[in-house]
Amino acid sequence: MATTTNITQGLAVKYKNQDWIVSFAQFVNPGKGAAFTRAKLKNLKTGQVVENTFRSGESIETIDVVRNKCQYLYNDSSDFYFMDNETFEQFALSADIIGDQKDFLLDNTECYSLYIDGTPMSIQLPPKMTFTVISTPPGVKGDTATGGSKEAIIDSGATIKVPLFIKEGERIIVNTEDRSYVSKDNS
Amino acid sequence: MIEAHTLKQISTLYREIRRFFDQQDFIEVHTPIMTPIPGMEPHLTPFETTLTTPLDNKQYPVYLNTSPELQMKRLLGAGLEKIYNITKVFRDYELGGGRHNPEFTMLEWYRQKADYFDLMTDCENLITTLLPHSNPNPKIDFTTPWDRATTQELFHQYCDIDLNQNQTFEKISQTAIFKNLDIAGCQDWDDIFFKIFLNHIEPHLGINKPIFIYEYPATQAALSKKSTKNTFFAERFELYIDRQEIANAFSELIDPDEQTQRLKEEQELRKSLNKRVFPIDEQFIASLKSIKHPSAGIALGIDRLFMVLLNKLKIEEVILFPMDQLLKENFNNQ
Repeated sequence: MATTTNITQGLAVKYKNQDWIVSFAQFVNPGKGAAFTRAKLKNLKTGQVVENTFRSGESIETIDVVRNKCQYLYNDSSDFYFMDNETFEQFALSADIIGDQKDFLLDNTECYSLYIDGTPMSIQLPPKMTFTVISTPPGVKGDTATGGSKEAIIDSGATIKVPLFIKEGERIIVNTEDRSYVSKDNS
Repeated sequence: MIEAHTLKQISTLYREIRRFFDQQDFIEVHTPIMTPIPGMEPHLTPFETTLTTPLDNKQYPVYLNTSPELQMKRLLGAGLEKIYNITKVFRDYELGGGRHNPEFTMLEWYRQKADYFDLMTDCENLITTLLPHSNPNPKIDFTTPWDRATTQELFHQYCDIDLNQNQTFEKISQTAIFKNLDIAGCQDWDDIFFKIFLNHIEPHLGINKPIFIYEYPATQAALSKKSTKNTFFAERFELYIDRQEIANAFSELIDPDEQTQRLKEEQELRKSLNKRVFPIDEQFIASLKSIKHPSAGIALGIDRLFMVLLNKLKIEEVILFPMDQLLKENFNNQ
Protein backbone atom coordinates (compact mmCIF):
# COMPACT_ATOMS: atom_id res chain seq x y z
CA MET A 1 0.00 0.00 0.00
CA ALA A 2 1.12 3.53 -0.67
CA THR A 3 -0.66 6.76 0.14
CA THR A 4 -1.40 9.22 -2.58
CA THR A 5 1.16 11.65 -1.28
CA ASN A 6 3.71 9.19 -2.68
CA ILE A 7 2.06 8.76 -6.06
CA THR A 8 4.85 9.45 -8.46
CA GLN A 9 5.51 8.89 -12.10
CA GLY A 10 6.46 5.28 -12.78
CA LEU A 11 4.65 3.77 -9.79
CA ALA A 12 2.56 0.69 -10.65
CA VAL A 13 -0.80 0.55 -8.85
CA LYS A 14 -4.01 -1.46 -8.58
CA TYR A 15 -6.98 0.77 -9.33
CA LYS A 16 -10.54 -0.43 -10.02
CA ASN A 17 -9.19 -4.01 -10.02
CA GLN A 18 -6.80 -3.40 -12.88
CA ASP A 19 -3.06 -2.80 -13.18
CA TRP A 20 -1.90 0.69 -14.06
CA ILE A 21 1.29 2.64 -14.25
CA VAL A 22 1.32 6.28 -13.19
CA SER A 23 2.40 8.21 -16.27
CA PHE A 24 1.89 11.68 -14.81
CA ALA A 25 1.37 13.06 -11.32
CA GLN A 26 0.62 16.66 -10.45
CA PHE A 27 0.20 18.23 -7.06
CA VAL A 28 -3.06 20.21 -6.77
CA ASN A 29 -4.02 22.42 -3.85
CA PRO A 30 -7.39 24.12 -4.10
CA GLY A 31 -6.33 26.45 -1.26
CA LYS A 32 -9.65 26.28 0.56
CA GLY A 33 -9.42 22.51 0.92
CA ALA A 34 -7.09 19.57 1.41
CA ALA A 35 -4.32 18.79 -1.08
CA PHE A 36 -4.90 16.38 -3.96
CA THR A 37 -2.78 14.58 -6.52
CA ARG A 38 -3.99 14.58 -10.10
CA ALA A 39 -2.65 11.53 -11.89
CA LYS A 40 -2.74 10.00 -15.32
CA LEU A 41 -2.84 6.23 -15.18
CA LYS A 42 -1.95 4.03 -18.11
CA ASN A 43 -3.56 0.61 -18.16
CA LEU A 44 -0.86 -2.03 -18.38
CA LYS A 45 -3.06 -4.42 -20.38
CA THR A 46 -4.90 -2.14 -22.78
CA GLY A 47 -2.79 1.02 -22.92
CA GLN A 48 -5.91 3.04 -22.06
CA VAL A 49 -5.13 6.26 -20.22
CA VAL A 50 -7.45 7.60 -17.50
CA GLU A 51 -7.16 10.64 -15.30
CA ASN A 52 -8.07 10.60 -11.64
CA THR A 53 -7.56 12.96 -8.73
CA PHE A 54 -6.63 11.34 -5.44
CA ARG A 55 -6.98 12.97 -2.07
CA SER A 56 -3.65 13.28 -0.27
CA GLY A 57 -3.42 10.48 2.24
CA GLU A 58 -5.84 8.22 0.38
CA SER A 59 -4.25 4.79 0.24
CA ILE A 60 -3.73 2.85 -2.95
CA GLU A 61 -2.40 -0.64 -3.55
CA THR A 62 0.95 -0.84 -5.31
CA ILE A 63 2.07 -3.72 -7.52
CA ASP A 64 5.51 -5.26 -7.63
CA VAL A 65 7.05 -4.50 -10.95
CA VAL A 66 10.41 -5.71 -12.20
CA ARG A 67 12.18 -3.06 -14.21
CA ASN A 68 14.96 -4.11 -16.60
CA LYS A 69 16.96 -2.12 -19.10
CA CYS A 70 15.95 -2.94 -22.64
CA GLN A 71 16.63 -1.84 -26.17
CA TYR A 72 14.20 -1.00 -28.95
CA LEU A 73 14.79 -3.07 -32.08
CA TYR A 74 12.12 -2.44 -34.74
CA ASN A 75 8.39 -2.41 -35.36
CA ASP A 76 5.93 -3.82 -37.83
CA SER A 77 2.38 -2.70 -38.49
CA SER A 78 1.00 -3.98 -35.19
CA ASP A 79 3.87 -4.55 -32.74
CA PHE A 80 7.05 -3.05 -31.38
CA TYR A 81 9.99 -5.37 -30.68
CA PHE A 82 12.51 -4.98 -27.86
CA MET A 83 15.41 -6.91 -26.35
CA ASP A 84 15.87 -7.18 -22.59
CA ASN A 85 19.46 -6.09 -21.94
CA GLU A 86 19.79 -8.33 -18.89
CA THR A 87 18.30 -11.60 -20.17
CA PHE A 88 18.82 -10.85 -23.91
CA GLU A 89 15.33 -12.16 -24.55
CA GLN A 90 13.28 -10.48 -27.22
CA PHE A 91 9.68 -9.48 -26.65
CA ALA A 92 6.92 -7.64 -28.50
CA LEU A 93 4.40 -5.07 -27.27
CA SER A 94 1.39 -3.90 -29.24
CA ALA A 95 1.26 -0.41 -30.72
CA ASP A 96 -1.66 0.39 -28.36
CA ILE A 97 0.54 -0.23 -25.34
CA ILE A 98 3.41 1.84 -26.76
CA GLY A 99 1.07 4.71 -27.65
CA ASP A 100 2.72 8.10 -28.03
CA GLN A 101 6.01 6.73 -26.71
CA LYS A 102 6.65 5.59 -30.29
CA ASP A 103 7.46 9.21 -31.16
CA PHE A 104 10.66 8.92 -29.15
CA LEU A 105 11.84 5.47 -30.25
CA LEU A 106 14.89 5.29 -32.47
CA ASP A 107 16.66 2.04 -33.41
CA ASN A 108 18.63 0.87 -30.36
CA THR A 109 17.01 3.39 -28.01
CA GLU A 110 17.61 2.27 -24.43
CA CYS A 111 14.59 2.27 -22.17
CA TYR A 112 13.10 0.14 -19.40
CA SER A 113 10.82 -2.86 -19.69
CA LEU A 114 8.29 -3.49 -16.94
CA TYR A 115 7.37 -7.04 -15.94
CA ILE A 116 4.56 -8.25 -13.72
CA ASP A 117 4.87 -11.95 -12.79
CA GLY A 118 7.46 -12.39 -15.53
CA THR A 119 5.29 -10.97 -18.35
CA PRO A 120 6.48 -7.83 -20.15
CA MET A 121 3.69 -5.29 -19.72
CA SER A 122 4.99 -1.96 -20.87
CA ILE A 123 8.06 0.18 -21.44
CA GLN A 124 9.24 3.32 -19.76
CA LEU A 125 11.32 5.92 -21.56
CA PRO A 126 14.11 7.77 -19.76
CA PRO A 127 12.51 11.04 -18.55
CA LYS A 128 15.03 13.03 -20.58
CA MET A 129 16.45 11.97 -23.93
CA THR A 130 18.73 13.59 -26.50
CA PHE A 131 17.70 13.99 -30.13
CA THR A 132 18.94 15.73 -33.28
CA VAL A 133 16.82 18.45 -34.85
CA ILE A 134 16.27 17.42 -38.46
CA SER A 135 13.98 20.23 -39.54
CA THR A 136 12.99 23.61 -38.13
CA PRO A 137 12.36 27.03 -39.67
CA PRO A 138 15.07 29.65 -39.05
CA GLY A 139 14.36 31.72 -35.93
CA VAL A 140 13.24 35.29 -36.54
CA LYS A 141 14.28 37.89 -33.97
CA GLY A 142 11.41 39.78 -32.37
CA ASP A 143 8.80 37.25 -33.43
CA THR A 144 6.40 37.84 -30.56
CA ALA A 145 3.34 36.17 -32.06
CA THR A 146 4.54 32.68 -31.15
CA GLY A 147 5.82 33.50 -27.67
CA GLY A 148 9.44 33.00 -28.66
CA SER A 149 9.12 29.40 -29.76
CA LYS A 150 8.80 27.44 -32.99
CA GLU A 151 8.26 23.85 -34.05
CA ALA A 152 11.09 21.42 -34.72
CA ILE A 153 11.01 17.86 -36.02
CA ILE A 154 13.51 15.59 -34.29
CA ASP A 155 15.15 12.44 -35.66
CA SER A 156 12.69 10.11 -33.89
CA GLY A 157 9.86 11.81 -35.80
CA ALA A 158 8.25 13.82 -32.99
CA THR A 159 7.45 17.52 -33.34
CA ILE A 160 8.64 19.57 -30.37
CA LYS A 161 8.29 23.26 -29.47
CA VAL A 162 11.78 24.76 -29.21
CA PRO A 163 13.20 28.27 -28.60
CA LEU A 164 13.90 30.43 -31.66
CA PHE A 165 17.69 30.03 -31.43
CA ILE A 166 17.66 26.26 -32.13
CA LYS A 167 19.05 25.34 -35.55
CA GLU A 168 18.82 22.24 -37.74
CA GLY A 169 21.43 19.62 -36.89
CA GLU A 170 21.70 20.66 -33.24
CA ARG A 171 21.35 18.13 -30.41
CA ILE A 172 18.61 18.92 -27.88
CA ILE A 173 17.38 17.31 -24.66
CA VAL A 174 13.65 16.61 -24.57
CA ASN A 175 11.38 15.79 -21.63
CA THR A 176 9.67 12.62 -22.88
CA GLU A 177 6.81 12.91 -20.40
CA ASP A 178 5.34 16.26 -21.41
CA ARG A 179 7.18 16.45 -24.77
CA SER A 180 8.79 19.76 -23.83
CA TYR A 181 12.22 21.13 -24.78
CA VAL A 182 14.68 21.07 -21.87
CA SER A 183 17.98 22.45 -23.17
CA LYS A 184 20.67 22.16 -25.81
CA ASP A 185 22.88 19.11 -25.45
CA ASN A 186 26.42 20.44 -25.59
CA SER A 187 28.09 17.19 -24.58
CA MET B 1 16.17 30.32 -17.55
CA ILE B 2 13.52 32.60 -19.04
CA GLU B 3 14.43 34.11 -22.39
CA ALA B 4 15.12 37.86 -22.53
CA HIS B 5 12.14 38.24 -24.84
CA THR B 6 9.74 36.79 -22.25
CA LEU B 7 11.29 38.82 -19.44
CA LYS B 8 10.62 41.95 -21.45
CA GLN B 9 6.99 40.94 -21.96
CA ILE B 10 6.63 40.30 -18.22
CA SER B 11 8.15 43.69 -17.41
CA THR B 12 5.67 45.37 -19.77
CA LEU B 13 2.74 43.49 -18.22
CA TYR B 14 3.69 44.70 -14.72
CA ARG B 15 3.83 48.27 -15.99
CA GLU B 16 0.41 47.94 -17.67
CA ILE B 17 -1.15 46.41 -14.53
CA ARG B 18 0.05 49.38 -12.45
CA ARG B 19 -1.15 51.80 -15.12
CA PHE B 20 -4.61 50.16 -15.08
CA PHE B 21 -5.05 50.70 -11.34
CA ASP B 22 -3.33 54.09 -11.20
CA GLN B 23 -5.67 55.46 -13.87
CA GLN B 24 -8.65 54.54 -11.68
CA ASP B 25 -7.16 56.29 -8.64
CA PHE B 26 -6.25 53.15 -6.75
CA ILE B 27 -3.41 53.61 -4.27
CA GLU B 28 -0.58 51.10 -4.52
CA VAL B 29 0.35 49.85 -1.04
CA HIS B 30 3.21 47.66 0.16
CA THR B 31 2.45 45.41 3.10
CA PRO B 32 5.06 43.44 5.06
CA ILE B 33 6.08 40.01 3.86
CA MET B 34 7.17 38.91 7.34
CA THR B 35 4.57 39.08 10.10
CA PRO B 36 3.79 37.54 13.52
CA ILE B 37 0.32 36.41 12.40
CA PRO B 38 0.01 34.91 8.92
CA GLY B 39 -3.38 33.96 7.48
CA MET B 40 -5.44 31.31 9.27
CA GLU B 41 -6.41 29.36 6.11
CA PRO B 42 -6.63 25.81 7.50
CA HIS B 43 -5.00 24.14 4.53
CA LEU B 44 -2.06 26.49 4.01
CA THR B 45 1.30 26.08 5.69
CA PRO B 46 3.35 29.23 6.22
CA PHE B 47 7.15 29.30 6.46
CA GLU B 48 8.28 30.02 9.96
CA THR B 49 11.37 31.83 11.12
CA THR B 50 12.65 33.51 14.26
CA LEU B 51 13.20 37.17 14.92
CA THR B 52 15.73 38.18 17.55
CA THR B 53 15.79 41.68 19.06
CA PRO B 54 19.19 43.24 19.70
CA LEU B 55 20.65 43.79 23.20
CA ASP B 56 18.16 41.62 25.08
CA ASN B 57 18.21 38.75 22.54
CA LYS B 58 14.49 38.18 22.88
CA GLN B 59 13.11 35.78 20.31
CA TYR B 60 9.76 35.85 18.52
CA PRO B 61 8.24 33.45 15.99
CA VAL B 62 7.44 35.24 12.73
CA TYR B 63 6.05 33.96 9.45
CA LEU B 64 6.18 34.73 5.76
CA ASN B 65 2.76 35.88 4.58
CA THR B 66 0.62 33.35 2.72
CA SER B 67 -1.52 36.29 1.59
CA PRO B 68 -1.61 40.02 2.44
CA GLU B 69 -5.41 39.93 2.95
CA LEU B 70 -5.42 40.67 6.69
CA GLN B 71 -3.29 43.79 6.22
CA MET B 72 -5.31 44.86 3.18
CA LYS B 73 -8.56 44.72 5.17
CA ARG B 74 -6.94 46.66 8.01
CA LEU B 75 -6.20 49.39 5.46
CA LEU B 76 -9.89 49.45 4.47
CA GLY B 77 -10.65 49.96 8.17
CA ALA B 78 -8.16 52.82 8.20
CA GLY B 79 -10.34 54.57 5.63
CA LEU B 80 -8.65 53.70 2.32
CA GLU B 81 -11.27 53.03 -0.35
CA LYS B 82 -9.36 51.70 -3.37
CA ILE B 83 -6.04 49.94 -2.86
CA TYR B 84 -3.87 47.44 -4.70
CA ASN B 85 -0.78 45.50 -3.78
CA ILE B 86 1.72 43.46 -5.78
CA THR B 87 3.57 41.31 -3.29
CA LYS B 88 5.43 38.05 -2.85
CA VAL B 89 3.62 35.37 -0.85
CA PHE B 90 4.94 32.06 0.45
CA ARG B 91 3.33 28.68 0.96
CA ASP B 92 5.14 25.58 2.13
CA TYR B 93 4.22 22.18 0.66
CA GLU B 94 3.33 23.82 -2.66
CA LEU B 95 5.78 22.78 -5.32
CA GLY B 96 5.68 20.91 -8.58
CA GLY B 97 3.18 19.99 -11.23
CA GLY B 98 3.93 23.13 -13.25
CA ARG B 99 1.40 25.24 -11.35
CA HIS B 100 2.95 25.84 -7.94
CA ASN B 101 6.09 27.54 -6.70
CA PRO B 102 6.42 27.99 -2.92
CA GLU B 103 7.19 31.67 -3.49
CA PHE B 104 4.92 33.47 -5.93
CA THR B 105 3.54 36.89 -6.74
CA MET B 106 0.07 37.96 -5.73
CA LEU B 107 -1.88 40.93 -7.03
CA GLU B 108 -4.58 41.94 -4.56
CA TRP B 109 -7.02 44.79 -4.95
CA TYR B 110 -9.83 45.99 -2.70
CA ARG B 111 -12.72 48.39 -3.26
CA GLN B 112 -15.19 49.90 -0.84
CA LYS B 113 -18.77 50.52 -2.06
CA ALA B 114 -18.51 47.36 -4.15
CA ASP B 115 -19.40 43.68 -4.16
CA TYR B 116 -17.84 40.68 -5.86
CA PHE B 117 -19.70 41.23 -9.12
CA ASP B 118 -17.85 44.55 -9.47
CA LEU B 119 -14.59 42.61 -9.20
CA MET B 120 -15.65 40.32 -12.05
CA THR B 121 -15.92 43.45 -14.21
CA ASP B 122 -12.51 44.59 -12.93
CA CYS B 123 -10.99 41.25 -13.99
CA GLU B 124 -12.50 41.53 -17.47
CA ASN B 125 -11.25 45.10 -17.87
CA LEU B 126 -7.78 44.45 -16.45
CA ILE B 127 -7.05 41.40 -18.56
CA THR B 128 -8.52 43.02 -21.68
CA THR B 129 -6.07 45.92 -21.32
CA LEU B 130 -3.19 43.42 -21.02
CA LEU B 131 -4.09 41.50 -24.20
CA PRO B 132 -2.31 43.83 -26.66
CA HIS B 133 0.90 43.08 -24.75
CA SER B 134 0.33 39.31 -24.69
CA ASN B 135 0.22 36.25 -26.91
CA PRO B 136 -2.29 33.89 -25.30
CA ASN B 137 -3.39 30.63 -26.84
CA PRO B 138 -5.53 31.73 -29.82
CA LYS B 139 -8.22 29.14 -28.97
CA ILE B 140 -9.25 31.21 -25.92
CA ASP B 141 -11.85 33.88 -26.72
CA PHE B 142 -11.36 36.84 -24.38
CA THR B 143 -14.32 38.83 -25.71
CA THR B 144 -16.35 40.15 -22.77
CA PRO B 145 -18.62 39.42 -21.00
CA TRP B 146 -17.00 36.16 -19.87
CA ASP B 147 -18.96 33.10 -18.80
CA ARG B 148 -20.42 32.88 -15.31
CA ALA B 149 -21.71 29.84 -13.42
CA THR B 150 -22.46 29.07 -9.78
CA THR B 151 -21.00 25.96 -8.15
CA GLN B 152 -24.59 24.77 -7.80
CA GLU B 153 -25.09 25.06 -11.58
CA LEU B 154 -21.81 23.29 -12.37
CA PHE B 155 -22.49 20.32 -10.08
CA HIS B 156 -25.88 20.05 -11.68
CA GLN B 157 -24.55 20.34 -15.23
CA TYR B 158 -21.64 17.90 -14.97
CA CYS B 159 -22.73 15.45 -12.24
CA ASP B 160 -26.47 15.91 -11.87
CA ILE B 161 -26.00 16.75 -8.17
CA ASP B 162 -28.06 19.40 -6.42
CA LEU B 163 -25.71 20.83 -3.76
CA ASN B 164 -28.63 22.44 -2.01
CA GLN B 165 -30.22 19.03 -1.44
CA ASN B 166 -26.91 17.55 -0.28
CA GLN B 167 -25.76 19.82 2.49
CA THR B 168 -24.47 17.16 4.88
CA PHE B 169 -21.54 14.75 4.62
CA GLU B 170 -23.86 11.72 4.88
CA LYS B 171 -26.20 13.01 2.20
CA ILE B 172 -23.54 13.94 -0.35
CA SER B 173 -21.64 10.66 0.29
CA GLN B 174 -24.79 8.66 -0.47
CA THR B 175 -25.54 10.71 -3.57
CA ALA B 176 -21.97 10.38 -4.87
CA ILE B 177 -21.90 6.61 -4.29
CA PHE B 178 -25.32 6.26 -5.94
CA LYS B 179 -23.98 8.12 -8.98
CA ASN B 180 -20.84 5.98 -8.96
CA LEU B 181 -18.51 8.91 -8.31
CA ASP B 182 -15.18 8.18 -6.63
CA ILE B 183 -15.02 9.65 -3.11
CA ALA B 184 -12.25 7.43 -1.72
CA GLY B 185 -10.19 9.05 1.02
CA CYS B 186 -12.69 11.86 1.62
CA GLN B 187 -13.11 12.79 5.27
CA ASP B 188 -15.57 15.66 5.19
CA TRP B 189 -18.09 17.47 2.99
CA ASP B 190 -15.46 19.76 1.46
CA ASP B 191 -13.24 16.79 0.51
CA ILE B 192 -16.11 15.31 -1.49
CA PHE B 193 -16.87 18.70 -3.05
CA PHE B 194 -13.25 19.08 -4.18
CA LYS B 195 -12.79 15.51 -5.34
CA ILE B 196 -15.85 15.70 -7.57
CA PHE B 197 -14.95 19.23 -8.67
CA LEU B 198 -11.37 18.28 -9.58
CA ASN B 199 -12.31 15.04 -11.33
CA HIS B 200 -15.46 16.03 -13.18
CA ILE B 201 -15.79 19.81 -13.39
CA GLU B 202 -12.43 21.59 -13.39
CA PRO B 203 -11.17 19.80 -16.55
CA HIS B 204 -13.95 21.61 -18.49
CA LEU B 205 -13.51 25.12 -17.10
CA GLY B 206 -12.46 28.11 -19.14
CA ILE B 207 -11.10 26.18 -22.11
CA ASN B 208 -12.57 28.39 -24.82
CA LYS B 209 -13.46 31.43 -22.74
CA PRO B 210 -12.61 32.61 -19.21
CA ILE B 211 -15.27 31.72 -16.65
CA PHE B 212 -16.20 33.05 -13.21
CA ILE B 213 -17.29 30.30 -10.82
CA TYR B 214 -19.31 31.92 -8.05
CA GLU B 215 -21.36 31.20 -4.91
CA TYR B 216 -19.02 28.75 -3.22
CA PRO B 217 -20.24 26.72 -0.25
CA ALA B 218 -20.01 28.76 2.95
CA THR B 219 -17.80 26.08 4.51
CA GLN B 220 -15.08 27.44 2.20
CA ALA B 221 -16.03 31.07 2.71
CA ALA B 222 -12.79 32.18 4.45
CA LEU B 223 -13.10 35.96 4.77
CA SER B 224 -16.15 36.31 2.52
CA LYS B 225 -19.69 37.35 3.29
CA LYS B 226 -22.45 34.74 3.27
CA SER B 227 -24.98 35.03 0.49
CA THR B 228 -28.07 36.92 1.61
CA LYS B 229 -30.46 34.75 -0.41
CA ASN B 230 -29.03 31.36 0.67
CA THR B 231 -26.63 31.16 3.60
CA PHE B 232 -25.39 27.74 2.53
CA PHE B 233 -23.33 29.68 -0.01
CA ALA B 234 -20.92 32.60 0.26
CA GLU B 235 -20.28 35.56 -2.04
CA ARG B 236 -16.99 34.25 -3.33
CA PHE B 237 -15.81 33.62 -6.89
CA GLU B 238 -12.84 32.11 -8.65
CA LEU B 239 -11.72 33.04 -12.14
CA TYR B 240 -10.70 30.10 -14.34
CA ILE B 241 -8.86 30.38 -17.62
CA ASP B 242 -7.90 27.23 -19.50
CA ARG B 243 -8.63 24.91 -16.55
CA GLN B 244 -6.47 26.94 -14.24
CA GLU B 245 -7.57 28.94 -11.23
CA ILE B 246 -6.28 32.49 -11.67
CA ALA B 247 -8.02 34.53 -8.97
CA ASN B 248 -10.15 34.22 -5.85
CA ALA B 249 -12.47 37.03 -4.75
CA PHE B 250 -14.94 37.90 -2.01
CA SER B 251 -17.61 40.30 -1.03
CA GLU B 252 -15.74 40.96 2.20
CA LEU B 253 -17.14 39.85 5.53
CA ILE B 254 -17.03 42.96 7.73
CA ASP B 255 -19.02 41.66 10.72
CA PRO B 256 -16.42 41.34 13.53
CA ASP B 257 -18.44 38.78 15.52
CA GLU B 258 -19.02 36.43 12.63
CA GLN B 259 -15.37 36.81 11.60
CA THR B 260 -14.16 35.96 15.12
CA GLN B 261 -16.42 32.91 15.17
CA ARG B 262 -15.04 31.74 11.81
CA LEU B 263 -11.44 32.23 12.84
CA LYS B 264 -12.13 30.17 15.98
CA GLU B 265 -13.50 27.37 13.81
CA GLU B 266 -10.42 27.59 11.61
CA GLN B 267 -8.22 27.38 14.70
CA GLU B 268 -10.03 24.16 15.64
CA LEU B 269 -9.63 22.79 12.14
CA ARG B 270 -5.91 23.60 12.08
CA LYS B 271 -5.56 21.84 15.42
CA SER B 272 -7.30 18.73 14.09
CA LEU B 273 -5.01 18.75 11.04
CA ASN B 274 -1.96 18.91 13.32
CA LYS B 275 -1.05 22.32 11.94
CA ARG B 276 0.28 25.21 13.94
CA VAL B 277 -2.57 27.24 15.44
CA PHE B 278 -2.19 31.00 15.27
CA PRO B 279 -3.76 33.52 17.62
CA ILE B 280 -6.65 35.61 16.30
CA ASP B 281 -5.37 38.95 15.05
CA GLU B 282 -7.29 41.32 17.35
CA GLN B 283 -6.14 44.39 15.41
CA PHE B 284 -7.64 42.86 12.29
CA ILE B 285 -10.97 42.16 14.03
CA ALA B 286 -11.07 45.68 15.48
CA SER B 287 -10.38 47.23 12.06
CA LEU B 288 -13.46 45.52 10.55
CA LYS B 289 -15.70 47.75 12.68
CA SER B 290 -14.28 50.84 11.00
CA ILE B 291 -14.88 49.69 7.42
CA LYS B 292 -17.56 52.16 6.39
CA HIS B 293 -19.02 50.58 3.26
CA PRO B 294 -19.65 47.12 1.84
CA SER B 295 -16.33 46.11 0.30
CA ALA B 296 -14.88 43.53 -2.03
CA GLY B 297 -11.37 42.15 -2.42
CA ILE B 298 -9.53 39.80 -4.74
CA ALA B 299 -6.26 37.87 -4.88
CA LEU B 300 -4.92 37.11 -8.35
CA GLY B 301 -1.93 34.85 -8.97
CA ILE B 302 0.18 36.96 -11.28
CA ASP B 303 2.49 34.15 -12.39
CA ARG B 304 -0.47 32.01 -13.45
CA LEU B 305 -2.01 34.95 -15.28
CA PHE B 306 1.30 35.41 -17.12
CA MET B 307 1.31 31.70 -18.04
CA VAL B 308 -2.06 32.24 -19.72
CA LEU B 309 -1.18 35.58 -21.34
CA LEU B 310 2.17 34.35 -22.68
CA ASN B 311 0.93 30.86 -23.57
CA LYS B 312 3.30 28.96 -21.26
CA LEU B 313 2.52 25.50 -19.93
CA LYS B 314 4.50 25.65 -16.71
CA ILE B 315 4.82 28.24 -13.99
CA GLU B 316 8.60 27.74 -14.14
CA GLU B 317 8.52 29.37 -17.59
CA VAL B 318 7.47 32.73 -16.10
CA ILE B 319 9.37 32.69 -12.77
CA LEU B 320 13.08 33.49 -12.56
CA PHE B 321 15.07 30.87 -10.63
CA PRO B 322 12.04 28.75 -9.68
CA MET B 323 12.45 26.59 -6.59
CA ASP B 324 12.62 23.25 -8.41
CA GLN B 325 15.64 24.59 -10.32
CA LEU B 326 17.27 25.91 -7.12
CA LEU B 327 16.74 22.57 -5.37
CA LYS B 328 18.35 20.71 -8.27
CA GLU B 329 21.29 23.10 -8.41
CA ASN B 330 21.97 23.09 -4.69
CA PHE B 331 20.88 19.71 -3.37
CA ASN B 332 21.44 17.47 -6.37
CA ASN B 333 17.73 16.64 -6.40
CA GLN B 334 16.61 14.75 -9.46
